[in-house]
Amino acid sequence: MAERSILVGMAEIHVVKGRAQLCCMGLGSCVAILALDAEAGIAGGAHVLLPESPSGAAVDKPGKFADTAIPELLTRLEAQGADRSRLRIALIGGASVVKFGGTPSPATQIGDRNVAAVQALLASLELKVVQNETGGNLGRTVTFDTETGAIRVRTVSRGDREVARLKEAA
Amino acid sequence: MPSLEEILQRTTDLPSIPAAALAVLREAESSSSSAHTIAAKLAADQGLAVRVLRLANSAFYGLPRQVMSVQEAVVVLGTRTIRHLCLVAATYPWLSKPLPGYELGPEQLFIHALAVATGSELIADQTSKIQRDDAFTVGLLHNLGKVALSAWLENKLQGVQTIAEYEKLAFDQAERRIFGYDHAEIGAALADRWNLPKTLVLAIRYHHKPQDNGAPRPLVDAIHVGDFLAMSLGFGVGGDGLQYEFDVTSLDRLGLTSRDLDDLANRLLDAVEHRKQMFQQNIATAA
Repeated sequence: MAERSILVGMAEIHVVKGRAQLCCMGLGSCVAILALDAEAGIAGGAHVLLPESPSGAAVDKPGKFADTAIPELLTRLEAQGADRSRLRIALIGGASVVKFGGTPSPATQIGDRNVAAVQALLASLELKVVQNETGGNLGRTVTFDTETGAIRVRTVSRGDREVARLKEAA
Repeated sequence: MPSLEEILQRTTDLPSIPAAALAVLREAESSSSSAHTIAAKLAADQGLAVRVLRLANSAFYGLPRQVMSVQEAVVVLGTRTIRHLCLVAATYPWLSKPLPGYELGPEQLFIHALAVATGSELIADQTSKIQRDDAFTVGLLHNLGKVALSAWLENKLQGVQTIAEYEKLAFDQAERRIFGYDHAEIGAALADRWNLPKTLVLAIRYHHKPQDNGAPRPLVDAIHVGDFLAMSLGFGVGGDGLQYEFDVTSLDRLGLTSRDLDDLANRLLDAVEHRKQMFQQNIATAA
């Protein structure tokens, strides 16, 4: 078991050195961005709500929006000694309400828009996303063991299962 | 398949609302109400009055001195705030219970209800098409049918999910397939028993299906959109997840754009966090 358990609440960003268990509860359309530099022993997580920050307005919680959360997460990881070229990242969440038949209105697919925004920004920064457990209509609870790199996701229909291991096998 | 009446009769621990709270809500709507008449209705239930006073004296309202009587609280905070506090104090005992049938832990249903109430109020402010107080009331009560249906869903949730997935049904449709009724219908039946105004009962009844409501009603649309926002942000998301259909025509009828949705979601997080903190600090121990 990990020694520390840290809840990454909505719009929050947490970075830890050493072993901890980062947890995001009941993700709906929000996306958890989980990152690990295993060599430096530094990990972080952001719980993002929306794809874009409002233009021209000050942002008091950078973790709220994809376009402000990712730079802030990277800054905090690097401040602790992480190297962005070594980061391995997983994305969890991004569910959307049901749409049967027809084309869903993009505006209402907040989860899809969140995932697309996060992926585009990470790709532009040439960061490695090794696992993408996103989409669908179910809420997810995720735990990330920062030492082993194991990411477990719990949903009602699929139970609790490991979906990724951000630490590469030695 | 049991009838709706049978479901209600055979369910133990049905949610209820103190008569004094209902009397306060009615009195607050009355054109002849005063601080004195509202306080008199509230004072009829000492337990409820104590909880409302405790909330009124919380740091959230920043009163310069402690209010000692219900009447003083009504004068200082105003009818609307007392109405809200009364409703929260009256519903918290059952809204805060875990609902294993929906995989909701303690307080999760309350957090969701508070988020929908707050979101619907934000929509009411933006559109000026509905009464803010009605939006808050229905937002808080919209899922009361889940409290009744939870016991029937226990150990069946995964099966319902499988049916929903296989037959491509929204969760409320799957409930109807299995029980003959969904939580919105059951909630409306309970609200009707409490003699809540018809408009509020209908908004509870159609919060997942605003298009089935017959005549367009902005309150139903506001609750539908408020519920969508609360689910999307993950406020009190349970085993039914986000498996509900969203009717975009609700946005059109309310005169909201897709940009408004993101703006509302952005503001909703801060507004809910603010209120949640206040209620959790001051009501959990008093309930």
